[in-house]
Amino acid sequence: MITVLLLALVTGAILFGVGVYGALSQTNLVMIMMGVELILAGALVNLVAFWRFLHPESYSGQMFVLVVMTVMALEMAVGFGVAIARFRAKGSVEMEEAGDLKG
Amino acid sequence: MYAQAFFVAAFGLAAIGFGVAVFRTSSMVRSALALLFSQTAVGCMFLAMQTEFLGVLQIMMMATEMSIMTIFMVMFMMDPGGLGGMDMSHQKRFSIGAGLSAAGAAIAVALLADWGPITAEAPDAAMQTRELGIEMLGRSMLIFETAAVTILTAMIAATAVAIPAHTLADNGNKEVSE
Repeated sequence: MITVLLLALVTGAILFGVGVYGALSQTNLVMIMMGVELILAGALVNLVAFWRFLHPESYSGQMFVLVVMTVMALEMAVGFGVAIARFRAKGSVEMEEAGDLKG
Repeated sequence: MYAQAFFVAAFGLAAIGFGVAVFRTSSMVRSALALLFSQTAVGCMFLAMQTEFLGVLQIMMMATEMSIMTIFMVMFMMDPGGLGGMDMSHQKRFSIGAGLSAAGAAIAVALLADWGPITAEAPDAAMQTRELGIEMLGRSMLIFETAAVTILTAMIAATAVAIPAHTLADNGNKEVSE
Protein backbone atom coordinates (compact mmCIF):
# COMPACT_ATOMS: atom_id res chain seq x y z
CA MET A 1 0.00 0.00 0.00
CA ILE A 2 2.89 2.36 0.72
CA THR A 3 3.91 1.78 -2.93
CA VAL A 4 0.62 3.20 -4.23
CA LEU A 5 0.89 6.19 -1.87
CA LEU A 6 4.44 6.88 -3.05
CA LEU A 7 3.42 6.49 -6.71
CA ALA A 8 0.67 9.07 -6.21
CA LEU A 9 2.96 11.47 -4.29
CA VAL A 10 5.71 11.24 -6.92
CA THR A 11 3.16 11.83 -9.69
CA GLY A 12 1.84 14.87 -7.82
CA ALA A 13 5.39 16.18 -7.34
CA ILE A 14 6.23 15.83 -11.05
CA LEU A 15 2.94 17.49 -12.10
CA PHE A 16 3.80 20.33 -9.69
CA GLY A 17 7.28 20.67 -11.28
CA VAL A 18 5.87 20.68 -14.83
CA GLY A 19 3.34 23.32 -13.75
CA VAL A 20 6.07 25.50 -12.20
CA TYR A 21 8.05 25.26 -15.46
CA GLY A 22 4.98 26.23 -17.49
CA ALA A 23 3.94 29.12 -15.26
CA LEU A 24 7.45 30.60 -15.31
CA SER A 25 8.42 29.97 -18.94
CA GLN A 26 5.31 30.94 -20.91
CA THR A 27 4.73 34.48 -22.15
CA ASN A 28 1.00 34.15 -22.84
CA LEU A 29 -1.48 34.74 -20.01
CA VAL A 30 -3.65 31.73 -20.94
CA MET A 31 -0.61 29.43 -21.06
CA ILE A 32 0.52 30.71 -17.65
CA MET A 33 -2.93 29.81 -16.32
CA MET A 34 -2.47 26.31 -17.75
CA GLY A 35 0.75 26.00 -15.72
CA VAL A 36 -1.10 27.06 -12.57
CA GLU A 37 -3.79 24.44 -13.33
CA LEU A 38 -1.09 21.75 -13.43
CA ILE A 39 0.36 22.96 -10.12
CA LEU A 40 -3.09 22.68 -8.53
CA ALA A 41 -3.62 19.25 -10.13
CA GLY A 42 -0.40 18.09 -8.43
CA ALA A 43 -1.75 19.37 -5.11
CA LEU A 44 -5.05 17.55 -5.72
CA VAL A 45 -3.31 14.22 -6.36
CA ASN A 46 -1.40 14.58 -3.09
CA LEU A 47 -4.52 15.51 -1.11
CA VAL A 48 -6.52 12.56 -2.42
CA ALA A 49 -3.61 10.16 -1.76
CA PHE A 50 -3.20 11.47 1.80
CA TRP A 51 -6.92 11.10 2.45
CA ARG A 52 -7.16 7.60 0.94
CA PHE A 53 -4.06 6.03 2.46
CA LEU A 54 -3.50 7.93 5.71
CA HIS A 55 -6.85 9.27 7.02
CA PRO A 56 -9.86 7.75 5.22
CA GLU A 57 -11.90 8.13 8.39
CA SER A 58 -11.68 11.96 8.34
CA TYR A 59 -13.61 13.65 5.52
CA SER A 60 -11.88 17.02 6.01
CA GLY A 61 -9.37 15.75 3.42
CA GLN A 62 -12.08 15.41 0.78
CA MET A 63 -13.43 18.83 1.78
CA PHE A 64 -9.95 20.27 1.18
CA VAL A 65 -10.00 18.71 -2.32
CA LEU A 66 -13.31 20.46 -3.05
CA VAL A 67 -11.81 23.78 -1.91
CA VAL A 68 -8.80 23.34 -4.24
CA MET A 69 -11.17 22.48 -7.13
CA THR A 70 -13.06 25.71 -6.34
CA VAL A 71 -9.78 27.63 -6.45
CA MET A 72 -9.06 26.10 -9.89
CA ALA A 73 -12.42 27.28 -11.22
CA LEU A 74 -12.02 30.76 -9.70
CA GLU A 75 -8.53 31.12 -11.12
CA MET A 76 -9.89 30.37 -14.58
CA ALA A 77 -12.85 32.77 -14.26
CA VAL A 78 -10.84 35.73 -12.95
CA GLY A 79 -7.92 34.95 -15.29
CA PHE A 80 -10.18 35.04 -18.33
CA GLY A 81 -11.80 38.26 -17.09
CA VAL A 82 -8.34 39.86 -16.87
CA ALA A 83 -7.43 38.38 -20.28
CA ILE A 84 -10.50 39.94 -21.90
CA ALA A 85 -9.80 43.33 -20.29
CA ARG A 86 -6.16 43.19 -21.38
CA PHE A 87 -7.05 42.11 -24.93
CA ARG A 88 -9.59 44.93 -25.20
CA ALA A 89 -7.10 47.52 -23.98
CA LYS A 90 -3.90 46.36 -25.72
CA GLY A 91 -4.96 43.80 -28.34
CA SER A 92 -2.76 41.09 -26.87
CA VAL A 93 -2.43 38.88 -23.80
CA GLU A 94 1.35 38.56 -24.09
CA MET A 95 2.77 39.20 -20.64
CA GLU A 96 6.09 40.52 -21.95
CA GLU A 97 4.13 43.49 -23.27
CA ALA A 98 2.65 44.13 -19.81
CA GLY A 99 5.64 46.05 -18.44
CA ASP A 100 3.31 48.96 -17.67
CA LEU A 101 1.85 46.88 -14.82
CA LYS A 102 5.15 47.26 -12.92
CA GLY A 103 4.93 49.58 -9.94
CA MET B 1 -3.33 -4.07 -4.61
CA TYR B 2 -1.14 -4.77 -7.64
CA ALA B 3 -3.98 -3.76 -9.94
CA GLN B 4 -4.41 -0.51 -8.00
CA ALA B 5 -0.67 0.23 -8.18
CA PHE B 6 -0.70 -0.52 -11.92
CA PHE B 7 -3.62 1.79 -12.67
CA VAL B 8 -2.33 4.61 -10.43
CA ALA B 9 1.06 4.39 -12.17
CA ALA B 10 -0.47 4.17 -15.68
CA PHE B 11 -2.81 7.13 -15.18
CA GLY B 12 -0.03 9.04 -13.40
CA LEU B 13 2.28 8.56 -16.39
CA ALA B 14 -0.52 9.67 -18.72
CA ALA B 15 -1.15 12.79 -16.58
CA ILE B 16 2.56 13.68 -16.62
CA GLY B 17 2.96 12.92 -20.35
CA PHE B 18 0.00 15.07 -21.37
CA GLY B 19 1.11 17.74 -18.85
CA VAL B 20 4.51 17.97 -20.57
CA ALA B 21 2.79 17.96 -23.99
CA VAL B 22 0.89 21.13 -23.01
CA PHE B 23 4.12 23.15 -23.26
CA ARG B 24 5.77 21.23 -26.09
CA THR B 25 3.30 21.83 -28.90
CA SER B 26 2.99 25.14 -30.73
CA SER B 27 -0.69 24.56 -31.50
CA MET B 28 -2.77 26.16 -28.78
CA VAL B 29 -5.77 23.91 -29.41
CA ARG B 30 -3.51 20.88 -28.91
CA SER B 31 -2.17 22.47 -25.71
CA ALA B 32 -5.69 22.87 -24.31
CA LEU B 33 -6.64 19.32 -25.31
CA ALA B 34 -3.42 17.95 -23.77
CA LEU B 35 -4.30 19.72 -20.52
CA LEU B 36 -7.82 18.25 -20.71
CA PHE B 37 -6.37 14.74 -21.10
CA SER B 38 -3.88 15.38 -18.28
CA GLN B 39 -6.66 16.50 -15.90
CA THR B 40 -8.85 13.57 -16.98
CA ALA B 41 -5.97 11.19 -16.21
CA VAL B 42 -5.74 12.83 -12.75
CA GLY B 43 -9.48 12.14 -12.33
CA CYS B 44 -8.90 8.51 -13.36
CA MET B 45 -6.14 8.32 -10.73
CA PHE B 46 -8.74 9.35 -8.15
CA LEU B 47 -11.00 6.55 -9.39
CA ALA B 48 -8.09 4.09 -9.15
CA MET B 49 -7.57 5.26 -5.55
CA GLN B 50 -11.23 4.43 -4.80
CA THR B 51 -12.28 8.07 -4.49
CA GLU B 52 -15.17 7.77 -6.91
CA PHE B 53 -17.09 10.98 -6.19
CA LEU B 54 -14.02 13.23 -6.45
CA GLY B 55 -12.81 11.37 -9.56
CA VAL B 56 -16.06 11.88 -11.44
CA LEU B 57 -16.25 15.50 -10.23
CA GLN B 58 -12.70 16.18 -11.43
CA ILE B 59 -13.38 14.71 -14.89
CA MET B 60 -16.68 16.62 -15.30
CA MET B 61 -15.28 19.94 -14.07
CA MET B 62 -12.14 19.74 -16.16
CA ALA B 63 -14.02 18.70 -19.32
CA THR B 64 -16.10 21.89 -19.20
CA GLU B 65 -13.24 24.08 -17.98
CA MET B 66 -10.83 22.98 -20.68
CA SER B 67 -13.47 23.27 -23.42
CA ILE B 68 -13.94 26.91 -22.43
CA MET B 69 -10.17 27.33 -22.28
CA THR B 70 -9.86 25.99 -25.85
CA ILE B 71 -12.28 28.67 -27.09
CA PHE B 72 -10.30 31.38 -25.27
CA MET B 73 -7.03 30.06 -26.67
CA VAL B 74 -8.35 30.34 -30.22
CA MET B 75 -9.73 33.83 -29.49
CA PHE B 76 -6.65 35.34 -27.90
CA MET B 77 -3.60 33.64 -29.34
CA MET B 78 -1.76 35.27 -32.19
CA ASP B 79 -1.10 31.90 -33.82
CA PRO B 80 -3.70 29.44 -32.45
CA GLY B 81 -2.99 26.75 -35.05
CA GLY B 82 0.75 26.86 -34.41
CA LEU B 83 1.44 27.01 -38.17
CA GLY B 84 3.90 29.89 -37.79
CA GLY B 85 6.04 27.93 -35.33
CA MET B 86 6.25 30.91 -32.94
CA ASP B 87 8.21 30.43 -29.72
CA MET B 88 6.11 31.88 -26.91
CA SER B 89 8.42 31.14 -24.01
CA HIS B 90 11.13 33.01 -22.15
CA GLN B 91 13.67 32.43 -19.33
CA LYS B 92 13.71 28.73 -20.24
CA ARG B 93 16.80 27.72 -18.24
CA PHE B 94 15.55 29.37 -15.08
CA SER B 95 12.10 27.79 -15.55
CA ILE B 96 13.52 24.31 -16.10
CA GLY B 97 15.74 24.73 -13.03
CA ALA B 98 12.83 25.93 -10.91
CA GLY B 99 10.57 23.11 -12.12
CA LEU B 100 13.22 20.45 -11.49
CA SER B 101 14.05 21.87 -8.04
CA ALA B 102 10.38 22.00 -7.04
CA ALA B 103 9.67 18.46 -8.26
CA GLY B 104 12.93 17.14 -6.75
CA ALA B 105 12.24 18.67 -3.35
CA ALA B 106 8.68 17.30 -3.30
CA ILE B 107 9.84 13.82 -4.38
CA ALA B 108 12.55 13.86 -1.70
CA VAL B 109 9.95 14.67 0.97
CA ALA B 110 7.63 11.96 -0.40
CA LEU B 111 10.35 9.30 -0.32
CA LEU B 112 12.12 10.26 2.90
CA ALA B 113 9.20 11.11 5.19
CA ASP B 114 7.75 8.55 7.55
CA TRP B 115 4.09 8.42 6.58
CA GLY B 116 3.02 6.21 9.47
CA PRO B 117 0.50 3.38 9.21
CA ILE B 118 -1.17 2.93 5.81
CA THR B 119 -4.89 2.13 5.63
CA ALA B 120 -5.61 -0.71 3.20
CA GLU B 121 -9.40 -0.47 3.02
CA ALA B 122 -11.27 2.60 1.81
CA PRO B 123 -14.93 3.29 2.69
CA ASP B 124 -17.29 2.30 -0.14
CA ALA B 125 -18.46 4.92 -2.64
CA ALA B 126 -21.96 5.43 -1.17
CA MET B 127 -20.53 5.83 2.33
CA GLN B 128 -17.95 8.35 1.09
CA THR B 129 -20.57 10.51 -0.63
CA ARG B 130 -22.84 10.38 2.43
CA GLU B 131 -20.03 11.22 4.87
CA LEU B 132 -18.77 14.04 2.64
CA GLY B 133 -22.27 15.53 2.53
CA ILE B 134 -22.52 15.35 6.32
CA GLU B 135 -19.03 16.91 6.62
CA MET B 136 -20.01 19.78 4.28
CA LEU B 137 -23.21 20.53 6.16
CA GLY B 138 -21.69 19.95 9.57
CA ARG B 139 -18.17 20.69 10.72
CA SER B 140 -17.00 22.23 7.41
CA MET B 141 -20.11 24.29 6.71
CA LEU B 142 -18.32 27.62 7.20
CA ILE B 143 -15.64 26.60 4.66
CA PHE B 144 -18.35 25.40 2.26
CA GLU B 145 -20.31 28.63 2.56
CA THR B 146 -17.14 30.72 2.24
CA ALA B 147 -16.29 28.87 -0.99
CA ALA B 148 -19.79 29.57 -2.33
CA VAL B 149 -19.60 33.29 -1.54
CA THR B 150 -16.09 33.42 -3.03
CA ILE B 151 -17.38 31.87 -6.27
CA LEU B 152 -20.16 34.49 -6.44
CA THR B 153 -17.66 37.30 -5.77
CA ALA B 154 -15.28 35.98 -8.45
CA MET B 155 -18.11 35.72 -10.99
CA ILE B 156 -19.12 39.34 -10.37
CA ALA B 157 -15.48 40.51 -10.37
CA ALA B 158 -14.66 38.62 -13.61
CA THR B 159 -17.74 40.05 -15.35
CA ALA B 160 -17.01 43.57 -14.08
CA VAL B 161 -13.42 43.36 -15.31
CA ALA B 162 -14.41 41.90 -18.68
CA ILE B 163 -17.17 44.30 -19.75
CA PRO B 164 -16.04 47.50 -21.48
CA ALA B 165 -16.05 50.67 -19.40
CA HIS B 166 -18.82 53.13 -20.28
CA THR B 167 -18.64 56.84 -19.76
CA LEU B 168 -21.28 59.48 -20.32
CA ALA B 169 -20.57 61.81 -23.22
CA ASP B 170 -21.40 65.53 -23.00
CA ASN B 171 -24.76 64.92 -24.72
CA GLY B 172 -25.68 62.29 -22.11
CA ASN B 173 -25.25 59.29 -24.41
CA LYS B 174 -23.22 56.31 -23.28
CA GLU B 175 -19.93 55.80 -25.04
CA VAL B 176 -17.39 53.00 -24.68
CA SER B 177 -14.00 54.14 -23.45
CA GLU B 178 -10.85 52.17 -24.33
